[in-house]
Amino acid sequence: MNPEKAPIIQMKDIQKHFGSVIALAGVSVDVFPGECHCLLGDNGAGKSTFIKTMSGVHQPTHGEILFEGKPMHFNDPRDAITAGIATVHQHLAMIPLMSVSRNFFMGNEPERKVGPIKFFDHEYANRVTMEEMRKMGINLRGPDQAVGTLSGGERQTVAIARAVHFGAKVLILDEPTSALGVRQTANVLATIDKVRKQGIAVVFITHNVRHALAVGDRFTVLNRGQTLGTAQRGQITPEELQDLMAGGQELVALEGSLGGTV
Amino acid sequence: MTSLFKKLTLATAIVAAPLLAATTVSAEGEKYILVSHAPDSDSWWNTIKNGIALAGDQMGVEVEYRNPPTGDLADMARIIEQAAASGPHGIITTLADPEILEGPIKAAVDSGVDVIIMNTGTPEKAREVGALMYVGQPEYDAGYAAGLRAKGDGIGSFLCVNHYIVQPSSQERCQGFADGLGIELGSQMIDAGQDPGEIKNRVLAYLSANPETDAVLTLGPTSADPTLLALEENGLAGDIYFGTFDLGGEIVKGIKSGVIQWGIDQQPFLQAYLPVVVMTNYHRYGVLPGNNINSGPGFVTADGLTKIEEFAGEYR
Amino acid sequence: MQDATKPTAQTDERIKEISAFRKALIRPELGGMVGTIAVFTFFLLFAFDSGMFNSQGIMNWSIVSAQFMIIAVGACLLMIAGEFDLSVGSMIGFAGMMVAIFSVTFGWPTWIAILVTFALCIAIGALNGWIVIRTGLPSFIVTLAFLFILRGFTIFLPQVIERKTIIGGIKDVAEGDWLAAIFGGKILQGAFVWLGDAGLIATFERGTRKGQPVVDGVPMLIVWALVLIVIGHVLLTKTKFGNWIFASGGDAEAARNSGVPVNKVKILMFMFTAFCATVFAMCQVMEFGSAGADRGLLKEFEAIIAVVIGGALLTGGYGSVLGAALGALIFGVVQQGLFFAGVESSLFRVFLGVILLGAVILNTYIRRIITGER
Repeated sequence: MNPEKAPIIQMKDIQKHFGSVIALAGVSVDVFPGECHCLLGDNGAGKSTFIKTMSGVHQPTHGEILFEGKPMHFNDPRDAITAGIATVHQHLAMIPLMSVSRNFFMGNEPERKVGPIKFFDHEYANRVTMEEMRKMGINLRGPDQAVGTLSGGERQTVAIARAVHFGAKVLILDEPTSALGVRQTANVLATIDKVRKQGIAVVFITHNVRHALAVGDRFTVLNRGQTLGTAQRGQITPEELQDLMAGGQELVALEGSLGGTV
Repeated sequence: MTSLFKKLTLATAIVAAPLLAATTVSAEGEKYILVSHAPDSDSWWNTIKNGIALAGDQMGVEVEYRNPPTGDLADMARIIEQAAASGPHGIITTLADPEILEGPIKAAVDSGVDVIIMNTGTPEKAREVGALMYVGQPEYDAGYAAGLRAKGDGIGSFLCVNHYIVQPSSQERCQGFADGLGIELGSQMIDAGQDPGEIKNRVLAYLSANPETDAVLTLGPTSADPTLLALEENGLAGDIYFGTFDLGGEIVKGIKSGVIQWGIDQQPFLQAYLPVVVMTNYHRYGVLPGNNINSGPGFVTADGLTKIEEFAGEYR
Repeated sequence: MQDATKPTAQTDERIKEISAFRKALIRPELGGMVGTIAVFTFFLLFAFDSGMFNSQGIMNWSIVSAQFMIIAVGACLLMIAGEFDLSVGSMIGFAGMMVAIFSVTFGWPTWIAILVTFALCIAIGALNGWIVIRTGLPSFIVTLAFLFILRGFTIFLPQVIERKTIIGGIKDVAEGDWLAAIFGGKILQGAFVWLGDAGLIATFERGTRKGQPVVDGVPMLIVWALVLIVIGHVLLTKTKFGNWIFASGGDAEAARNSGVPVNKVKILMFMFTAFCATVFAMCQVMEFGSAGADRGLLKEFEAIIAVVIGGALLTGGYGSVLGAALGALIFGVVQQGLFFAGVESSLFRVFLGVILLGAVILNTYIRRIITGER
């Protein structure tokens, strides 16, 4: 980590209760610009609730969010987006029937004035889309190619490129690799690497230890709504991470019988 | 892609070929087009179709039948325009709404197509639009005559089951009947819709809500057949006074069994058959009757039903 | 991993390269274009000398097609935005009846009657949309309710007020009215007189209009159709709002996540559909001079059929205004043309069904190529 940089976002002792259910019981995480912070945890560990709190969908029951050192209160996702926190959801905010460039600029359409009428500036949109896609290593047939013709990994990449283009400082990726094949996963991980190098903070949610270790700088494990600590890259082995996620002993026993394949 | 398209074209051509052959075979003689205002669902117009088919055969002319599928009179106006554009010798049509049809009919007449008004309309209106003549039954007069007859039978209130309320002539029938009785129409006319089940239930509902109703008037088989069922169900069949416009298979049975007192026969066969015959003779020999032809009203009662029974729904 | 990080882009060898020609051909309108060519070829072969292609015949199927086009443009944009409006036909009847009541029965100046009717109908369109958005019910059900509600009023109001279901006399009260002329008038009359004098089109043989051309101008109905098509096409493909329409219909949730005001878009599209239906009604009423309770029956389905022939996806997010216009043209030409060709009129529905099915199959195939949809 770069020690002289201040964290761009600090989540301090975040608690979130839904009625009598305690989804988050005091979680603290810092994220620095240019790092890929992996958030690991099994299903139901509280990962989703945590990132929804970070992206303004939920308001924390208790705890504090500091964004660039200042306390922030996100009332809805719009606030978070305006501040520069972009979320790429597991189920993408992409419309398969629409072209890549129309998707890329959806909600942020560039306009060109002809007389009193404002037109969608297709030329600009197409050029930027092609450029951004090329930077991410995707060669489109054309900007009018429909998103539906892209593979799952490519769609993730378009979504990430879009968030970056529109000025995201923190990029939250919710299980971007969970439904992808090996090669597609590699592409997405490569994209994450590129984004990180541009100085953007990436919060990478996954339950796959190998994916996390491939790109992660730091790792935070959530279990039953609590954090089990944050580890630096190189300070932790895959086996230890796996154990932390499972919350202790059960998996060790299991792993023995499965021959270390999990 | 291309092969799919080829297949589609081929299929269309195969489907279309015999139809084209079948309908253009009798193109020898004069060509006439009958344009009605009735929606597809109106079975009464079957008699008209049979009438023009018979007249066409006998006279050696080609007669086509056209109607707006939903009964939308604006669509009917387009059909008349189109009929005129296809250059027939004559058009036989109704004046269901003079205002909307006047323009297209006048244009047809002016472009050299002869027009005869049948069924709905009046002799005066027919003359106004430039038609050769009018063949039909003036609706208000028919309703009025029926009202007078019912008054003579001691009727003081009635239910008019209107299955085609958007058609002005249907209301003229009810209005004429009310005026013949010398009473206000008021809310005694119900919008029954076209569905037999709905018509039946609305009649049942009205009669149970207004038990003192003396008579039922239906405007054709569409409303008469379900009304017969309704009266059977509530036990009023044969008890309540029942008159109807037009004839049909069930209506004839009803008259025979005494459930229906009378049917007003406007003799649609004549409305279809006579214009074709008149027009053909006019075009061939230049002869034309000097007056309009009233095809009705004729009251059909239980006496002398044999011929009607035999041809009901076909030529009667 | 190492390979993939290289900036040189990976191309999937399983995706075949598409030739420039094929790419130019593969558009949402392709089905409509193929259909239009097929339909015209068919009728030129089988009905050329039947009067279908003389001036009167052309005007006849052009007007019928233009009618379909006006309502198809509205239905198309609404369908792309992911919603249906089944109340279009009833709205046509209702709008016509309201303008008749306002102008004839109440005696208002026609232009005020027209403007008030537009405001009323667009407000009903907005109400339709608002209910759909607010309740989350399918628009199919909500607008089906309005199909009955509006038709009911269209029959009820004139009966209560005038004791009949057709109100006439609009031509007389609208005489000389500037706004009425925009709906019921004709343009280019001079050109047609010249054509008639030059013997290029037929003239009336008798009557008061003897010597005048049988077609005496282009009705405003056709002008409206063309204007609405151009506006609809530009709005959909060339503006920010058009992108929002696609997005709202493609995936409303994804569009909301990206900041598209989906609710606003949908409600505006309901209002636009109502506007188109009202334009249809105004043209009809001003041309024929009467409003009837039966006007516009089943027109909502005809609009939807035209839009679907034109390549739009019933579930939203995909379609083309030009395609819908071609669909309307096919619909109109087939409907009128079968009669010219001498086909028994009761078979019209058979043909329509065949064309609808053929068009939908072809369009599905084209769409799969374009969008990679499976």
